[in-house]
Amino acid sequence: MAMQKTIEVVIRLVEKRVIGNYAIAGAVAALNYIQPALTEDLDILISVGDFERRPSGLLLLGPIEKALADMGYMERTDVGYRIEGWPVQFLPAASPLEEEALNQAIEIDVADAGRSPLMARCLTAEHVVAIALNVGRFKDLLRIQDFLEQGVVDLKRLKNVLERHDLTGKWAAFCVKAEIENPL
Amino acid sequence: MSDERKVYPDNSGIHARKAVGKRQRAALTFAEKLAALDDLRARVEPINRARKQRGRQAASPPATGRN
Repeated sequence: MAMQKTIEVVIRLVEKRVIGNYAIAGAVAALNYIQPALTEDLDILISVGDFERRPSGLLLLGPIEKALADMGYMERTDVGYRIEGWPVQFLPAASPLEEEALNQAIEIDVADAGRSPLMARCLTAEHVVAIALNVGRFKDLLRIQDFLEQGVVDLKRLKNVLERHDLTGKWAAFCVKAEIENPL
Repeated sequence: MSDERKVYPDNSGIHARKAVGKRQRAALTFAEKLAALDDLRARVEPINRARKQRGRQAASPPATGRN
């Protein structure tokens, strides 16, 4: 049960060309910027092209499912495929914001210190915040507060992302709810 | 009713130490944070298991001995 190994399997899927563009998203992406917090699963944002598309428009994970089965990962949980003990959700980029987040993802080293680097793609802090704002659950808003408190967001870049994706109204509402002065 | 003003303890030191701890944990490497995540999950696992079991027990009615 090691998240590091789970991410290694995702990297192997990329090496096998089962997945093209991808990025670690959600709570594990947030981990790159703020303190660790408990999560149930690993979210992997991938491009729609990596899904099998049915004529009805339905998106299926056929190729990914098959590759995982070939690698010995056949168990499914209610929140995704179980890989090295962790449920993994492969999420298609479902909006222009998520598409942009995917394309602008950064490379991070997930290997232990002193070992050869193992690079994985991860969402930028600004996109983690923008997506959290857009989803808007209580835990997402708390995450935004952590990002702001720890000063890990480039506010100018965040402002641009929010403006591009029409999220400034939601941002203003968040500031009111969080009882903070709008830092943008 | 007493006129005495209630004196509350000053928690600011605790909050300041918590903030320092948060910053220290945020400064760990990604690999260290992943290990912390595994550890957190392992510690919470028995609680989750017990919660699920309680849920199952609540969902299944107690046996009455009758059909």
